Amino acid sequence: MFDLIISTLTQGFIYALLSYGIYITYKILDFPDLTVDGSFPLGAAIAAVLLVKEVNPFVALLAAIAVGAVAGLVTGVIHVKFGVRDLLAGIITMTALFSINLQIAGSNLAVERAIDTIFTSGPIIAVMGNASLMMRKFVMSLIVALIFKFILDWYLSTKSGMLLRAVGDNSTLVTTLAKDKGVVKIVGLVIANALVALSGAMVCMEQRAFSSTMGTGQMVFGLAAVIIGTTLFRKVSFVKGTTAVLVGSVFYKACIQIAISLGLPANLMKLATAVLFLIILILGNRQKGGAEHA
Amino acid sequence: MLELKHIKKIYNPGTISETLLFEDFNLNVPDGEFVSIVGSNGSGKTSMLNIICGSIPIQGGEVLIGGKDIAKMKDFQRYRTIGRVYQDPSAGTCPNLTMLENMSLADNKGKPFGLGRGVNKAREDYYKEQLSILGLGLENKMNVKLGALSGGQRQAATLIMATLTPIQFLILDEHTAALDPKTADIIMELTDKVVKEKKLTAMMVTHNLRYATDYGSRLIMMDKGHIVFDKGGEEKAKTKVDDILDIFTSISIECGN
Amino acid sequence: MKKFMAMTMAMVMTAMALTGCGGGGSTNEDAASGDVPVIGINQYGQHASLDNCREGFLLGLEEAGLEEGVDYIIDYQNAGFDDNVTTQIAQNFSANNVALMCAIATPSATACYAAAEDKDIPVIFTAITDPEKAKLTSGNITGTSDKLPIEGQLQLIREMQPDAKTIGILYTTSEPNSVSAVEEYQAKAADYGFTIEALGVMTQAEVNQATDTLISKGVDCFTNLTDNNVVGVLPSILEKTNDAGIPVYGSEIEQVKLGCVASAGIEYVALGKQTGMMAAKILRGEAAAADMPYETITAFEIYENPDAMSALNLNTAVENAIDVTAE
Repeated sequence: MFDLIISTLTQGFIYALLSYGIYITYKILDFPDLTVDGSFPLGAAIAAVLLVKEVNPFVALLAAIAVGAVAGLVTGVIHVKFGVRDLLAGIITMTALFSINLQIAGSNLAVERAIDTIFTSGPIIAVMGNASLMMRKFVMSLIVALIFKFILDWYLSTKSGMLLRAVGDNSTLVTTLAKDKGVVKIVGLVIANALVALSGAMVCMEQRAFSSTMGTGQMVFGLAAVIIGTTLFRKVSFVKGTTAVLVGSVFYKACIQIAISLGLPANLMKLATAVLFLIILILGNRQKGGAEHA
Repeated sequence: MLELKHIKKIYNPGTISETLLFEDFNLNVPDGEFVSIVGSNGSGKTSMLNIICGSIPIQGGEVLIGGKDIAKMKDFQRYRTIGRVYQDPSAGTCPNLTMLENMSLADNKGKPFGLGRGVNKAREDYYKEQLSILGLGLENKMNVKLGALSGGQRQAATLIMATLTPIQFLILDEHTAALDPKTADIIMELTDKVVKEKKLTAMMVTHNLRYATDYGSRLIMMDKGHIVFDKGGEEKAKTKVDDILDIFTSISIECGN
Repeated sequence: MKKFMAMTMAMVMTAMALTGCGGGGSTNEDAASGDVPVIGINQYGQHASLDNCREGFLLGLEEAGLEEGVDYIIDYQNAGFDDNVTTQIAQNFSANNVALMCAIATPSATACYAAAEDKDIPVIFTAITDPEKAKLTSGNITGTSDKLPIEGQLQLIREMQPDAKTIGILYTTSEPNSVSAVEEYQAKAADYGFTIEALGVMTQAEVNQATDTLISKGVDCFTNLTDNNVVGVLPSILEKTNDAGIPVYGSEIEQVKLGCVASAGIEYVALGKQTGMMAAKILRGEAAAADMPYETITAFEIYENPDAMSALNLNTAVENAIDVTAE
């Protein structure tokens, strides 16, 4: 049981990075960003290729962040500079990324056990080299999830971060503050997709594989984690949004794990997920005092 | 000095619903003037404000501020010297940010939004002092999200935020229209106070004829894209609500209303 | 920071409570406490061939003399073609300390391999075309490979269509299995007097259009791979090819049942059975997965669909062919 909790938490932490990204686009910018389904495998593809070439795994993570940022930039420019609708801009980039990811990785790509990842080399080995791989994965993903949570918290409290929050909240105000709201949106998309690609790279290192289809449904996962997290903590004002999302991600992974443990047929899994999703949304609306948007 | 020269504005150009609003619209607003603008719906009041702010495109003419044509500038670039309060009380503030955050945002207008701390604690006392001018007790709500405040409170905060940094023009777009009469009176009084204190050039569109006559140094009435009444100084001071109402009625009769 | 610690604690407790109540009602719990070893089957999705593999696997265990409930318990999980789910299934098996993981199809094998690494739980896979390329050859892992009998298929097509010149192949460019199969077809086609017209697609949505393209290029027949994207929409491909009077050869029996004229195909039940026998050896402690090289099934059968054949006026009788009709 202990093992199951550890591995479920590990999954939750790794996917929390993806969820932070969606927190920025969906919750802060109010931008339904479908780039995610492409930038997630993009991060994994870059990581897989670099790992196979025996590049330092931490460098591979940084590279994933960089390419993810570029993916976000592309969506942002398509939307802001060419006036393409948000949903479509994301779909365009996502579709292009499908080809690009395969171009980068060749085809689905596996990483041999002999190759070091962030879970099997560097600081984690120095500190807890005797611990099991499972514990190392747990600690490492917790650390990465926390580092980026704190970076994101810090960023959102800066002037630039506050402007980002303002764009999602009231873009008219940003214009009257003499700031180009388009540029601010692009910045948000860049950060979001950098985080999503980082998450993809972590999954690639954890699973030792890149598959071209691994992005499918990730946007929905992140969205669920964000909504679950922010709904659970709606009433608790001292909990930061990022913390709520982190919990949401773990919670969602735990729910899937329960469904598996209960032996729920796979064909019903998505339906169960949808029902869970709906229940949380309804409960969230109840807390708020009835459905506002009928 | 703000100058609108030979402004041409057509809505939906090239379509079946094409409508010409301004063919050759001209207006000069010298510095320090407080212009009240009245007129029936569709007379072009708000369009004129939007043209000044760059919110809508024009088909011809020049918009000059201090002799410099700004017609090619993007809206957000023009707002460096313009502050604006909208009719909708939620348009001027961020509902999910606290008063302190909203004030800090407004305070940073014209400066780069970099990686420095967003909330300026050192300036908190100054913000409180500014908000206390309103006399609404907003200075005690620094950590309250703006979404939790009433429309009047938000509109008052917007007024302070729009004028917190040095600007040349204050644009007031029916900014009392969505408020109850009592709150509207308070906001109007505050507006006058702020404009005088900060020596701003202001343009206020309003449907309230009493505000138009009681406040400001110049009164303009617009109809179908033309200025039909324009009085300043002594003449404006002598203008009564009834005088304006008479003109209004005569226009309406012409229209067959 | 204090707040944060509190949050983390709350989170751990939530996860414990959640997974705790989950584990209670499942068979896993009995398994972990009992003495009977558990075999966790992680099947990537519901699909006729994969189902046949699983069925064969269970037959293989039985044939090797093991009895369910006495010598082993099966914990069967299906991931519904979802990579995230297959990962969590594998972790579930690992946490429950199953005696052996059986992975059906590559994504499941990758997930089991990663989850089993720590505890060195043996993994046995099946229905993987190229274990080398999937890097599933080192460590405590073994299994069976379902490499297509390509020469057998080429020979079959030659026998049934003596005058055919060009064979069309649709495949997904991202599937390494398909790419290597196409390469092998191209290398060997000339020996049988064929040229290959291969057309790659990226998604299932493109298959229909690609079918039209191949037909318009005047291919004499189609031959399928075990490509999930293409096989998934086989009925609509067949509709088009039947209109054009072009026969389609399947890569396994299930496709022939769906209306392909014939196939030189691996019998997946047999493949699974072979895997099950290997698993039995591991369970009995006769051999370790780490020391067993993966096995490639080489024997194939010829299946033909007489209805489909007569509809296309193919009347060459192939020796030893097994007749298959639509279900």
